[in-house]
Amino acid sequence: MTGERVTAPTLEPASASRGSIAAFIFKKALISALVALVLFSLMIGIRTEAGPTGQLIYWTRFPELAGMVAAVFAGSIAVELLRLWWGPVGTVMVVPPKVQSALALARRAIAPLLLIFTFLVPVIFYQQRYILDLGILVLTYVMLGWGLNVVVGLAGLLDLGYVAFYAVGAYSYALLATNFGLSFWICLPLAGILAALWGVMLGFPVLRLRGDYLAIVTLAFGEIIRLVIINWQSLTGGPNGVSGIPRPTLFGIPLTPADDGLAAKLGIEFSPTHRIVFLFYLILALALLTNWVTIRLRRLPIGRAWEALREDEVACRALGINITTTKLTAFATGAMFGGFAGAFFATRQGFISPESFTFQESALVLAIVVLGGMGSQLGVALAALAMIGGFELFRGLDQYRMLVFGVAMVLLMIWRPRGLIGHRAPTVYLEHSQAISSDLVKEGHG
Amino acid sequence: MSAPPAAPLLAIRSLRAAYGKIEALKGVDLKINPGEIVALIGANGAGKSTLMMTIFGRPHARSGQILFDGRDITDVPTHEIARLRIAQSPEGRRIFPRMSVAENLQMGADATDCSEAEREAGLERVFALFPRLKERMTQRGGTLSGGEQQMLAIGRALMSRPRLLMLDEPSLGLAPLIARQIFDAIRTLNRQDGLTVLIVEQNANHALRLAHRGYVMVNGLITLEGTGAELLQRPEIRAAYLEGGRRG
Repeated sequence: MTGERVTAPTLEPASASRGSIAAFIFKKALISALVALVLFSLMIGIRTEAGPTGQLIYWTRFPELAGMVAAVFAGSIAVELLRLWWGPVGTVMVVPPKVQSALALARRAIAPLLLIFTFLVPVIFYQQRYILDLGILVLTYVMLGWGLNVVVGLAGLLDLGYVAFYAVGAYSYALLATNFGLSFWICLPLAGILAALWGVMLGFPVLRLRGDYLAIVTLAFGEIIRLVIINWQSLTGGPNGVSGIPRPTLFGIPLTPADDGLAAKLGIEFSPTHRIVFLFYLILALALLTNWVTIRLRRLPIGRAWEALREDEVACRALGINITTTKLTAFATGAMFGGFAGAFFATRQGFISPESFTFQESALVLAIVVLGGMGSQLGVALAALAMIGGFELFRGLDQYRMLVFGVAMVLLMIWRPRGLIGHRAPTVYLEHSQAISSDLVKEGHG
Repeated sequence: MSAPPAAPLLAIRSLRAAYGKIEALKGVDLKINPGEIVALIGANGAGKSTLMMTIFGRPHARSGQILFDGRDITDVPTHEIARLRIAQSPEGRRIFPRMSVAENLQMGADATDCSEAEREAGLERVFALFPRLKERMTQRGGTLSGGEQQMLAIGRALMSRPRLLMLDEPSLGLAPLIARQIFDAIRTLNRQDGLTVLIVEQNANHALRLAHRGYVMVNGLITLEGTGAELLQRPEIRAAYLEGGRRG
């Protein structure tokens, strides 16, 4: 089973085996508890520490160990009962047609509603700077997710070093602006072009790699870029980063309290929120540009070739698709959007350092793409909202935040192994649409 | 096809190809005349698929020559060979499972510089040949049955309006009735459109009945050639490929 759905629901033998089911659950829980006992006996049962004179002292914590094992036992039973209640994973649930049509309507309405809401966020939450900042952060990750989606979701090239392009974009803008005084609007395309160049640079050596091997090389690439930034002190300032990065202007009009600032020109009172709102709409525009370009490209032969490449490289070759250019354009396009996002990040922060571009960022963006459903634009946006927004939402839980986060991810992958929005919308429509929708027919790789 | 024209569409001369140190083709000579169906039969590992792939440039020929319509294509990169309108339906069908039937077909035309009108015409032609595909146009490729997937693979190859169509084991894993439909379609293509076809097959009986001429390949060498009917009569062919299975 690779997460494919099973067409025929396996019927549970009704009441006949109620006792055997209970026995099965009990046995499974017992085994889990036993494994936990073995694992935790050293990890939790015995605590060691260096004593006052340097010798090793230890003491036992059997109550905690017992508690842990009991928790595993109870948890195992709970999981099994849940599974029983839900029925086997992957069965087709019979949904009444009314609910189905309502769901379909909701599915179609969600994207426009989300977009309208996003446009209204600065209006609704004008007084709440925290929400505006969070919105900018979420949109930045939506953009990064959409950018990476081109590489991972469409072309199927697993890229674990996406943060490198984000860094290239950020440093391009920071260095060009601080050294040459170029404006944000000139630097933005330059940052994209430079990042795209680096994308091609990464693409060339990995042309022949796929899957795990590709992932390792891209991971290394991300680290190389970060290490170069740290060590090339004369150019990048090393670990100290670049500070004093100019704020963006509204096509030359600065958003400052000065006499030539936007507020003065419009004759309204200056407020620092103006800049935040401006940044919000700026990243929204950039993200929408990413989305629009991706949707357009998907309908062109190049986008189709990306998806075909994800499906079957050998078949692409047989059809005469140029694998080299297809892969390189995917890397370059994804990297370019990463570069745009990086330039935005630099101008928003006003200060950048290598610490912002660790592997964790790559992993987070990749998680957004995978959770959203590879290749689905709406899914990626929802996943970014859930990941970044949800992460903030659980801030009150302190150290348990990561735990909640992990559990949520595991549950999501059990219920929706293909991501939030796992189905893929076709891009070619012919005059007459057929009665059979591809969603109704379950897939069976043959 | 009584009198074959003088200039062959595809001519292969003492072609050698290898995977590392293992030589898969040890000097193959073969020619395909315009409008012909040529069958290439042989056991597993004889080098049939390799020959087809070497015509497409992967693996690259070690020595020898491949001439297409008089032009040497031995060193032409793979992606440009398709532009010369040689199309290939690879072994195991290899359709794109998550893409719709319509998208799969469009992929066939993408590598060539087809105009929109030519695409439309190509689609019409494929749908005329395989009406089943038209019914399933919006369905995902992976949801098709094996026979339909084979139709899709052939249809996809036809979308580039090829002058030479190369099919690698089109009957692989298909029920006899479905396999016959596929072979009938190939015959129709050849008779109606004059399409030149190279067909690689294990199913020697079917392939030789369909083909004008056939080649038998053993261990990277062509050992026999002749018209389909001739080869079918040869006792060694009957023993090796037609009746041998009954005893083993």
